Amino acid sequence: METVPKKRDAPVLTAGKGISWMAALKRDKWLYLLLIPGLLYFLIFKYLPMWGVLIAFKDYSPYLGFWKSEWVGFDYFKDFFMNPDFFRLLRNTLMLASLDLLFAFPAPLILALLLNEVRKAVYKRCIQTFIYVPHFVSWTIVVSITFVFFTVDTGVINKLIMSLTGEQISFLSDADWFRPMIVMQSIWKETGWGTILFLAALATVDQEQYEAAIMDGAGRFRRMWHITLPAIRSTIIVLLILRIGSFLNLGFEQVYLMTNSLNRSVADIFDTYVYMMGITQGAYSYSTAVGLFKSVVGIILIFGANYIAKKFDQEGLF
Amino acid sequence: CSHSETSNSASGSKDTIKIMAPLLSPESPSDKSPSLKALEKYTGKEIKVTWVPDSSYNDKFNIVMASGEMPHAIVIKDKSAGFIKSVKAGAFWELSPYLKDYKNLSQADEKILKNSSVNGEVYGIYRTRDLIRACMIIRTDWLKNVGLDMPETLDDFYEVLKAFKEKDPDGNGKDDTYGMVVPKWMGLGNGSPWDVLQIWFGAPNRYGVENGKLIPDFTTKEYMDALTFFKKLYDEGLINKDFAVMDSAKWNDPVVKGKAGVIVDTGSRASQIQSAMEEADESNKDIIDIVGSLEGPNGKRTFPTSGYSGMITIPKSSVKTEKELKEVLSFLDKMNDKEAQILTNNGVKGRNYELKDGVFTSLEKNNKSLLYEHEGLAQFSMSIPKSEYYIEDQKTKLFQHRKDIITEGEKIAVFNPAESLVSDVYTQKGAQLDNIILDARTQFIIGEIDEKGFDDAVELWKKSGGNELMKDLNKLYQSSK
Repeated sequence: METVPKKRDAPVLTAGKGISWMAALKRDKWLYLLLIPGLLYFLIFKYLPMWGVLIAFKDYSPYLGFWKSEWVGFDYFKDFFMNPDFFRLLRNTLMLASLDLLFAFPAPLILALLLNEVRKAVYKRCIQTFIYVPHFVSWTIVVSITFVFFTVDTGVINKLIMSLTGEQISFLSDADWFRPMIVMQSIWKETGWGTILFLAALATVDQEQYEAAIMDGAGRFRRMWHITLPAIRSTIIVLLILRIGSFLNLGFEQVYLMTNSLNRSVADIFDTYVYMMGITQGAYSYSTAVGLFKSVVGIILIFGANYIAKKFDQEGLF
Repeated sequence: CSHSETSNSASGSKDTIKIMAPLLSPESPSDKSPSLKALEKYTGKEIKVTWVPDSSYNDKFNIVMASGEMPHAIVIKDKSAGFIKSVKAGAFWELSPYLKDYKNLSQADEKILKNSSVNGEVYGIYRTRDLIRACMIIRTDWLKNVGLDMPETLDDFYEVLKAFKEKDPDGNGKDDTYGMVVPKWMGLGNGSPWDVLQIWFGAPNRYGVENGKLIPDFTTKEYMDALTFFKKLYDEGLINKDFAVMDSAKWNDPVVKGKAGVIVDTGSRASQIQSAMEEADESNKDIIDIVGSLEGPNGKRTFPTSGYSGMITIPKSSVKTEKELKEVLSFLDKMNDKEAQILTNNGVKGRNYELKDGVFTSLEKNNKSLLYEHEGLAQFSMSIPKSEYYIEDQKTKLFQHRKDIITEGEKIAVFNPAESLVSDVYTQKGAQLDNIILDARTQFIIGEIDEKGFDDAVELWKKSGGNELMKDLNKLYQSSK
């Protein structure tokens, strides 16, 4: 992993001196042709719709349409930052995002390491298949299941707690339980799926190193610490950077479905706010401004994380 | 670019009427549907419908508005923010001056027309719905078991709920029943059990009128009385403890499974519960009954709907001249004739239904595809001045009671005086404002806050835009009077 060449732009395609880019284009025309569908996809479906963010700077009305709606500059951004809701939303979003990063991000790594220690291949593959399943269950179902298990009086978990302690816990309506519940749900749903990349990385680790370590008398944990983890370090870093980039995207559905009158003070996040303002109240420009703010924060975070990773002599993302 | 349009209108008539409507059935009526063909023959127009799945209807509406390629008539599901914005931008015809010229449309109900208006201006022809739906649904077998009569007042109601909890109404010797089921509910004043009970307690419907000015319902004494009552129900375990989070899709379950005995909701839910219980056990016939209103301190009152569900609007960009407008209106007028109502709601005689000695029998029982031939068409049926299609007569007591509460309820309905008023403040901040009160109500009931806490929430509501809202609404209210 430490053998990455300092100069990565090895002169294979960019060609040496004397060959113009035209000639390069001609030489590899079939390769470039293959590139076109991908480029078109990104242009049409990713870049073209982007100009829509401009409505954050307009007073958009669907009837007047994009061009006829009036320009208002940064008015909506100002409204948003001056809004008393802003700090509550920021706090809730950051809290939830941090908990998510702290607990839900390492979970697949830990699980992958555990799975890696399983000897029997059949057994391992069975477990893998099983733990993928929750990923394909929609949030609506996950929240319903949570409700059935955790509700007071009739929920299984509360019945158990009741028989042990004689008291019940309002998991679903107590504001203090909101964040733990959200993180637990995320872990339950996505951990299995998240192991895929880690397991793929683990598969590439040189087996001879393990054998050598065993010869040296290294136990399981020593091997994990000194061989496995360093070997997949770059994968972990790349995934971490990606995760940080989507730090503020907490998934609207889950939070929206878990919100109720008793936990709203901690449950309102940017995503649910955008939904409420934009979809239910038709404040298209305002909610676009909020969404754009979120995206800008995401970009800053991803560049920041990448920069820091490079500082620590890691590969980084770009 | 509008050459074809102008030449079309110059020649005098629109032969085709294009309509955009939501689709709630799994299948839309095809172009060859006999009901649609018969409707075209009756109205003398070719009818082209753009069906949009109900779940994405409002999104699609916004897209259509932005695209500029509009049909001649658009069904609007509710006064959404997108619709209001388009109205303010001048997208639709204001219809009040024209309605009087049409046989059916001229007979539209004043009150409902006003409810459906935007600050008194009519931008669409409403689709009639029952004005009264709210009622108390109760298991009569339990009532018998605890030796009580059908409740008539709120005091009786409390007695019944208490007995359902404490007197073992299912007779299994275990303390495993409670009174009323209440689910999680989004929004305020849209028919939740609490909204209905507040009206019975004498509180106004969203806004009261004091000295000629609108005041929010939650500042009245009756509202707080109702809240205190709810709290008592919660504290004594007469309602489900998880009402703040309970999935409303499972609302019927506790009653059907014999855990609870009362629900406050619509008459159609009573029928759902009745048939679910009959399905489980045939001896459960006539087990569910309803009461339209429970008498409170201010007498018998009931919570009405707004009397309509959505409306049909006519965009100016596709219907350019007054002449064309009149043509679309006369088409819509014809849609209200008895013949057209039957075609949209019942279908074609001999194919979809049979009529023998005046008794209507549907032929669609085991043939859904017959139903889909016309079911969607009812989306642009308005039933003005009244519904005149056939309804299969069900001879059950419950069905009769459902009809009774509608006739009885119309006299004692408490209307929202601000139903027609569209305030910009509400459009912008309504959801947050409502949430403040909604949350405070729930927190008060479960005892997380006391009366002082509720007052604090009202203060927060005022500061967050409530004061502005009331000022705006009162201005609109004065000018609409």
